[in-house]
Amino acid sequence: MRVRVRFFASLRELLGPGAPRAVPAGTTAGALWDAIVRATPAAGRVRVRIAVNERYVDAGHALADGDEVAFFPPVSGG
Amino acid sequence: MAELFAIDDAPIDAGRLLAAVGDPAAGASVLFLGTTRNENAGRRVTRLEYEAFATMAVREMRRLARQAGRRWPLRRVAMVHRVGVVPVGEASVGIAVSAGHRAEAFEACHWLIDRLKELVPIWKKEHYRGGTVWIGAQQGGPPPPRRRARRAG
Repeated sequence: MRVRVRFFASLRELLGPGAPRAVPAGTTAGALWDAIVRATPAAGRVRVRIAVNERYVDAGHALADGDEVAFFPPVSGG
Repeated sequence: MAELFAIDDAPIDAGRLLAAVGDPAAGASVLFLGTTRNENAGRRVTRLEYEAFATMAVREMRRLARQAGRRWPLRRVAMVHRVGVVPVGEASVGIAVSAGHRAEAFEACHWLIDRLKELVPIWKKEHYRGGTVWIGAQQGGPPPPRRRARRAG
């Protein structure tokens, strides 16, 4: 299946804005993040937050085809 | 008046926020403006820059406003966060709340800015002389700014 990956803030500077990506069926949000960190270990220094289709999820959240998966560092607005 | 929840690169218009919560049944309107400070953790900040996941940020703002409306008897809520470069001393975030009475308007406004800082996907990058740092991205306390070059002496 395919998902659209997006990165923000420090992760965007490190990994780019993100792109569509093929993942095995049943992949969890956390497993996708682990694969990203294996490819770019520096990303693992961030305490990552994950949102699927603009809602916060836990690492165990199972992804579905067509999902938009956003990875970002702890927020710091205000 | 149309409701107002927005991510915007223009300066924040306090009058527009207050107008957005205008309501004949309101006895109080509270306006909070967060302004950019010229120092953080002992470092002199020359400018701040904000990035947002804009569509999710607006969705989270609306969700927080609905939650506040369940906790307090409010009339209206409006929230705006600025993105891009925000010069020191200008507003980066504005929240307006109207209610029948002042106590709930003050409490809800305080609660909303605290929740916004925890949950709404917006990030602040501080620029110092000789470096920049994303606030929140680092583990533990903020690290010293990255140096582009070691200063002589």
